[in-house]
Amino acid sequence: MLNLLRKDFIALKSSLWMTLLFLVVFSVAFIPKLEVSLYLVGIYTAFASLNLGTMIDIKNHNHKFLVTLPVNRKQLVQAKYIAAIIYTLFGVFASYGIHTLVTFAMPELHKPEYSAIDLLAPIGIMLILSAIYMPLFYSLSKKGAAIINVVFMIILIGLAQPTAIVMNMVKEKGISDDPMLILVLIGVLLLFAASYFLTVHLFKRKDF
Amino acid sequence: MNALEVRNLTKAYPQFKVDQISLDVKRGYITGLIGPNGVGKSTLIKMMLGMVRPDSGTVRILGCEMPAQEVEVKQRIGVVSDDCFYYEHLSIRDMQQMIAPFYRKWSHHTFNRYLEQFELSPNMKIETLSKGMKVKFSLAVALSHEAELLIMDEPTSGLDPVFRRELLDLLANILQDEHNSIIFSTHITTDLDRIADYIAFINRGKLVFSEAKDSLLERYAIVKGDLQLLDSDIRKLFVGMRETAVGFEGLVEDRQQAAQLFGEHVILDKATLEDIMYYTAKGGRIHA
Repeated sequence: MLNLLRKDFIALKSSLWMTLLFLVVFSVAFIPKLEVSLYLVGIYTAFASLNLGTMIDIKNHNHKFLVTLPVNRKQLVQAKYIAAIIYTLFGVFASYGIHTLVTFAMPELHKPEYSAIDLLAPIGIMLILSAIYMPLFYSLSKKGAAIINVVFMIILIGLAQPTAIVMNMVKEKGISDDPMLILVLIGVLLLFAASYFLTVHLFKRKDF
Repeated sequence: MNALEVRNLTKAYPQFKVDQISLDVKRGYITGLIGPNGVGKSTLIKMMLGMVRPDSGTVRILGCEMPAQEVEVKQRIGVVSDDCFYYEHLSIRDMQQMIAPFYRKWSHHTFNRYLEQFELSPNMKIETLSKGMKVKFSLAVALSHEAELLIMDEPTSGLDPVFRRELLDLLANILQDEHNSIIFSTHITTDLDRIADYIAFINRGKLVFSEAKDSLLERYAIVKGDLQLLDSDIRKLFVGMRETAVGFEGLVEDRQQAAQLFGEHVILDKATLEDIMYYTAKGGRIHA
């Protein structure tokens, strides 16, 4: 498994700067304008990084090479799901770090105080997005996967404002100690796990 | 003992079918897989490697079931193809760093030795390599983890004649270790004339024969003679035939039978693998 994550790192090493670029661009775009920028910067950065990490494997039909390595297809998918979690944590924590800096450096922006619970929302949303994206990516061809990436980015951009409104409502209602929160979190994890099994099933059936 | 056993392997596509192929690759020998383009050689190899899921049939490699034991199998095999799907933006050194940790028996020393032998610089990017250089690189990878079975899909198609000859010598050297085996798919049959011990011929998705090259070349013969010798019964003896205004040339499967039948009236030549492939693929009568 570590070898597969290492493989991703080597393949991506010349484009890792793009992840930081995403972080900067989304921070500049959302932090001054939206109160829930913590979520959006985290989600957008994580999802763009996930796109980068998946597309690198199909740029030159590299799955045809990967399936000749001494790993099975289940391990290939497993590594990508673990990478998705890493991108998610990176995006959300990097966003949290930037927001903490902004709170001190630019108090005039009046960014709210964020708690650990606040970080669960973007992590949960990102896991849901990954759970939908991954089976599509692994079942489609190179062209199809590229289309899916564009569609997801458009949807994310389109949903930015509605998400901000919903997040504000949720924050105002204060659900941090609501038992529903636990149920939602369990549901998200179950969806992510179900998505993993579906993706393994689809990828095992694919011919190269 | 067999390095590879394929039983009743079948895969149907809308326009094409690999049909019930059973094949053994003997350990310690080179088996050539021949056939015209598009008859199913690559599909068969992909099914062996688990890249294409067969509709039915089984594959055993080095005593292990595929795909159940694919991780163990892939540790012990090397794959060389004219279609390389490495990460194009990476250098050879990056690819080595990526690939090496996957193999238990990877030798950096061996890999570097092959890079030197093949005149490949570690700093070269994959995207700058010619097709032949990519084959050399994939061969260096395949030979650097002590693969017991080399599975080569059209490896010589992009190579210049000098390296082709070197490659064939290299393969012959690999076979010095009697545990090593090679399956070599190609439509350039002259390569196999030089090095193959066994020949498997695939045509239109079916296995036509799989046997020792020497016995095959002894059994088949090219018959050249006058058109007047031909009648409908005689024609049936030929696997394939080419007729011209001055005579005919055809392939027969039983040299002895042809010699007895035609006696001194025809010329009997030794058939090459190309003759066998050509006449079997074309079949029937060809007018030139």
